[in-house]
Amino acid sequence: MRFEWDQLIRYGPELLQAFGVTIVISAISLIIGIVLGMIACLGKLSGQGGAYRLSIAFIDFFRTIPEVVLIFWVYSCLPLLLSVRISSEACGVIALSLFSGAYLAEIFRAGVLAVPRGQVDAAHALAIPRLHIWRKIIIPPAIRRMMPAFVNFLTELLKATSLLSAIAVAEMAYVASILGAKTLSYFEFLSAIAVLYFILIFPFSVWARRSEKKLLQRTGH
Amino acid sequence: MWFPIVLLGVIGFAAYFLNWNLLLSLDFSVVWEYRMVLLKGLMLTLALTACAAVLGLFAGTVLAIASQSGFAPLRWIVTAFVEIWRNTPLLVQLIWIHFALPLVTGINTTALESGVIGITLQASAYFTEIVRAGIESVPKGQWEAAYSLALPARIRWTRVILPPALRTMIPPLVNLTISFFKGTAILSILHVSELMTVTNRISNVTFKPVELFSSIAVIYFVVGYLMSKGTLRVEYYLQKRER
Repeated sequence: MRFEWDQLIRYGPELLQAFGVTIVISAISLIIGIVLGMIACLGKLSGQGGAYRLSIAFIDFFRTIPEVVLIFWVYSCLPLLLSVRISSEACGVIALSLFSGAYLAEIFRAGVLAVPRGQVDAAHALAIPRLHIWRKIIIPPAIRRMMPAFVNFLTELLKATSLLSAIAVAEMAYVASILGAKTLSYFEFLSAIAVLYFILIFPFSVWARRSEKKLLQRTGH
Repeated sequence: MWFPIVLLGVIGFAAYFLNWNLLLSLDFSVVWEYRMVLLKGLMLTLALTACAAVLGLFAGTVLAIASQSGFAPLRWIVTAFVEIWRNTPLLVQLIWIHFALPLVTGINTTALESGVIGITLQASAYFTEIVRAGIESVPKGQWEAAYSLALPARIRWTRVILPPALRTMIPPLVNLTISFFKGTAILSILHVSELMTVTNRISNVTFKPVELFSSIAVIYFVVGYLMSKGTLRVEYYLQKRER
């Protein structure tokens, strides 16, 4: 078997465009996920009441069901339930946002809980306003502590975008299988996207591991 | 104080936009009608999970031991293997194994075979990382003790290093097993007849996606939730035994 470079070069622009789609979809889902995650995190941190129970249900549910099931549910049920047309890209973004919201809520919570309790108590004792405590005392160290987990999750999200090929979103995996079927050069295109995914994800996972090690050395736990 | 207001707003919003005709005509008897098929799908899902966990743990342990060897090229090969399988999506690995690999090797694999190969290889890469971390968490003194007693390599690993390493690894191992339980749904891309594929097929025949997909979401949730609660039990039990 010969490796057909000319097919890859000929359809290269389409693959790169799909690469862009993957990145854009991950970015939008990540942003919505951060907002959802912050709300759910605050709900879970409140420790009691309706908001707490609702946040726990949200986090547990969307962390436990498989991403594929969530994507298919949003794609095939949500338009029927709301009787509106939703494009497959929008469905993908909705599903991935819910998925990242639930995971990020737990990551944020771990970050906030890692801030030493004494610092927060000290701030309360000094009668610093609550908003100011959050902005200046809790959030900066919390962000530093959750960064490795956050970037690790980002790699999971980038991998999860490939699942959107099941609902015909024109991201990398989908475009590669379409081009493979068109030119019968499956091996070339599938290998090419495997390499592209690796190039995209590998730096993040290396960075996450490095910063985790550094954090361990600095904080000692 | 803000919460009831927000909740009321969301409920009102949903009530306005929901398609009540459809909602009232939902008929969950289809799930009961196809219960045996769905149950068979769930069994295959669990079998695939067990396969990924057992074979993955075995291969992962072997690779983790190899990654501790003094022979550098062997360490590089293990690292390359682990990084490649960890940093590409499972879906891409599966379609690569199923559609691209046979073009090179000339050996055609069935969907189930490709699925098992793919999920096991990815599992072994993830398990390698965890077993490696577990091995590295064993205190240096244990290694030195084993060396100073001149224990042969096999005994050193099976009696001295691996037992305490495995005990610290149990929580991440179970988490990983749950994530591969979720991962088996990705095998529906290849139409392996696990729960997700079966549901897709039934939905295509009966035109009842809302009932079916909602039900299997609940099924996946219940099974996954029981698995993660079970972990807490196991952890608690082990902690109690150690004290």
